[in-house]
Amino acid sequence: MKYLNHLLLLVLLLIGFLLKDHIHISTNLLSLFASKESVEKLSIANHLGYSKEMLIAVKGFSKESKKNVRAITKKLQSLQDIEFVQSTLTPSQDIAEYYKKYYPLLASFQAKKLTKKEVQKQLQTLYDKQLHSVFYTSIDKNDPLKLFHLELTKSATLKHKGNMIALGEYGYLIRVQTNIPPSEMGRAKRLYDEVQSITKVFPGTVAFAPFFYTVENSAAFKSDVQWIAILSSIVLILIYFLLLRNIKLLIETLVTLFSSMVFAALFSTTLFDNFNVLSLAFGMSLTAVSIDYLLHYHFHNFYESKKRVDKNVLYGFLTTLSAFGIFSFIPIPLIAQISFFALFSLSYAYVVFSFVFPYLGIKSYTRTTEVQSVSSGRKISALSLFFISLILLSYSAFHFKLDANIRNLDYQNISLKSAENLFKHNSQSSLVPVIVEAPSKESLIENLHILKHSVSKSFSLASFVLDKKTCEQKRDALKEYNFTQLRDYIEDASLKVGFRDDYFKDAYKFAEKKQVCILPNLNIFQTFSLSAYTDGKRWYSIALVDDAQKAQTLPFVTDINVKAMFDKSTQQMYKNLILFGSLVLVIIFVLLLVSVRKKILYALNYILFPLALSMAVLTTFGAINIMHLFSLIILVAIGIDYGIYMSNSNKPTHTMIAIKYSLLSTFAAFGVLIFSSIVALNSIGMVITIGCVAIYILIKVMR
Amino acid sequence: MLKAFFLFFLFLNVLYAQSYSFTEVRYSDAIGKSMQLNGEITFKKEGLEIKYPKSQRVLNYDGEEISFFEDKKLIELPEEQISNMMHYFDILKLLHDGNEDELKSRFTIKELDGKTFLSPTGALKYYIEHIELLKINNTLKYIKLFLKNNDTITINITNEIS
Repeated sequence: MKYLNHLLLLVLLLIGFLLKDHIHISTNLLSLFASKESVEKLSIANHLGYSKEMLIAVKGFSKESKKNVRAITKKLQSLQDIEFVQSTLTPSQDIAEYYKKYYPLLASFQAKKLTKKEVQKQLQTLYDKQLHSVFYTSIDKNDPLKLFHLELTKSATLKHKGNMIALGEYGYLIRVQTNIPPSEMGRAKRLYDEVQSITKVFPGTVAFAPFFYTVENSAAFKSDVQWIAILSSIVLILIYFLLLRNIKLLIETLVTLFSSMVFAALFSTTLFDNFNVLSLAFGMSLTAVSIDYLLHYHFHNFYESKKRVDKNVLYGFLTTLSAFGIFSFIPIPLIAQISFFALFSLSYAYVVFSFVFPYLGIKSYTRTTEVQSVSSGRKISALSLFFISLILLSYSAFHFKLDANIRNLDYQNISLKSAENLFKHNSQSSLVPVIVEAPSKESLIENLHILKHSVSKSFSLASFVLDKKTCEQKRDALKEYNFTQLRDYIEDASLKVGFRDDYFKDAYKFAEKKQVCILPNLNIFQTFSLSAYTDGKRWYSIALVDDAQKAQTLPFVTDINVKAMFDKSTQQMYKNLILFGSLVLVIIFVLLLVSVRKKILYALNYILFPLALSMAVLTTFGAINIMHLFSLIILVAIGIDYGIYMSNSNKPTHTMIAIKYSLLSTFAAFGVLIFSSIVALNSIGMVITIGCVAIYILIKVMR
Repeated sequence: MLKAFFLFFLFLNVLYAQSYSFTEVRYSDAIGKSMQLNGEITFKKEGLEIKYPKSQRVLNYDGEEISFFEDKKLIELPEEQISNMMHYFDILKLLHDGNEDELKSRFTIKELDGKTFLSPTGALKYYIEHIELLKINNTLKYIKLFLKNNDTITINITNEIS
């Protein structure tokens, strides 16, 4: 029995090793915050090249700038993960061929029937221009009367200086299409390094791609988390050792905490299809809350008593379990997964601390210093503190502001944000991307045309490709027109006017050829960031529109504005959180009523006061984000235990010591996150620190 | 329109000169005849000016806009013609600045019997077959532009004005 704790850990590790093929850990953070539908649409957008674009700006329009553009373009073209590089407006060879092949259908055609006299008049004007005009006028022997006119489609988003793409008035612009999938961190990092090594040679050059955030932020995140984890571990071990002064107890405690994490991780990662790595990390931190049970047992010498169960710890555990049990059903993947993890890790820790530790032969706690009298100093009544809490909550409600922007939780990469803003500010494009879908390639083009007519300004494949109906109408119009007669008129008139014999013998023969309405390869328009993608069932393409709201009224259009998606899902998240949070509070209230009865107000203050103080401080200095709310849940979990311990304690001095030490360990586990530069972690640290201070105030001043 | 494009070659070879007299011989394959124009071209800090003294016609490009005057009266040109000319004038200006890299990026250049042959590689290849330059003693003598429709335009440099 002496080594049972270690044995359990070994068994768990063995099970983990055997189940290693069934463990599913997801690293897709997006799936934690955006809805499933949004994630799917963003995945399609990634297939269509959205977010794979990289922009490089070269300052100024000087000769030197132009030289730099050429040099950078050449270097970029040699990189492995680059699809294409564009620095001029010159259409690609594929697009030029497309225009040539489909010219009769793509060009506008004046189907007006001309008389002999009209033809001769026009040819006479042409002849005169050849002999007398200052400007050279070329004659198109295939279309001398200019019945066809083709306006080449220009990009709706690209500005230009001469033939070169420009970023507003800032300088020249180089557009680069990469083939880096968002999940391939290694390739993204390699390309990032290669691009940085190219651009740093050219002064005044700025590069930006959405995947730069992934590369730079994850590096910052990693180093930040690393030193915080080290700091937290050192502080925790130090506190445990100094407090417990019992090396065996320290080792057994650490083994139990570690076993709890392995136990919960095994359940979570095998039962969930894609348990997220972030939930895993938070869940592991949350396991540290279970140290409360040990400290309470230890400072009350529970292990030496004959009692099988400490009612206070049991009530505390069951109440916390109920709270996380309810939260595990919340439709917010992050909180549901963390709560699920906590259910298992806290349960394991409770069972081991309660039923295994008494058999480990741990020395009992002997107080080395005298504990201050509980009744010393001035105290405030529980009722007063309850009202203070209500006042603080009312104040918070009055100043309450939500920060719905999930990106604000990330590492605030100021230099990259300023680079992104440089491109946004100078591009001055008012068009936003939407996804258009259809069951077939043909109907996709039709839908894109419907969208084109529904909004006042758009840019999509419909700007290049005709829909079937229009194409057939044009084909029929060409078929019906009498080009043979027109050619006869031209040949007669041209001789009369003075043109060379047979010069127009092939006029309009190109329009008489059989025209076929088939769709071209839609991916040739990638230089305009336009393409089509199929998942085997449906076809998708991106369109740029000036009014996404209006576009979205069409059933086949989805807005893929990431911010809008997050805003929508965050609003839903907050609603769910408030609903489930209220339910949890009601359950806690009922359970507290059962466990502490008359001292309900006293116990409730351990939940309400830390909540109220944290909310009041947070709302005074800024907006509340999802991580603040998540941390408030942890605070509730801690508060429940302390409330029950303090309300039912017959040895308050011992309970106070246990709570103080527990607060210290909670601060070491979560509070140190306040030093993080990542807003998400800093938010957790902030709430837990304020919460710990609030609980400390309570144990000191509440009577 | 295309005239503006090839006139810049004058300046490539005589960098410090500003104004030139030139004779332009334009052969039209459609009518099997040639026409000749005499003019002067001045390269300014921003843009250029082409004068046809005989017909009192002046073409002015200030780097932003093109104005065409006939008998000192401003004549409005079709938008399509203006944008095409601007496109070529921009190239002209850049090449006047001595940007050989740009020239190489747009043409394949060959030397044969003292003549230089430029074949366009980009979109220009749909309109221009090739360009021929002749230099004698480092002085440009003529430029011949061979167009896809069999028309040719020859610019003979007569003298430098200033």
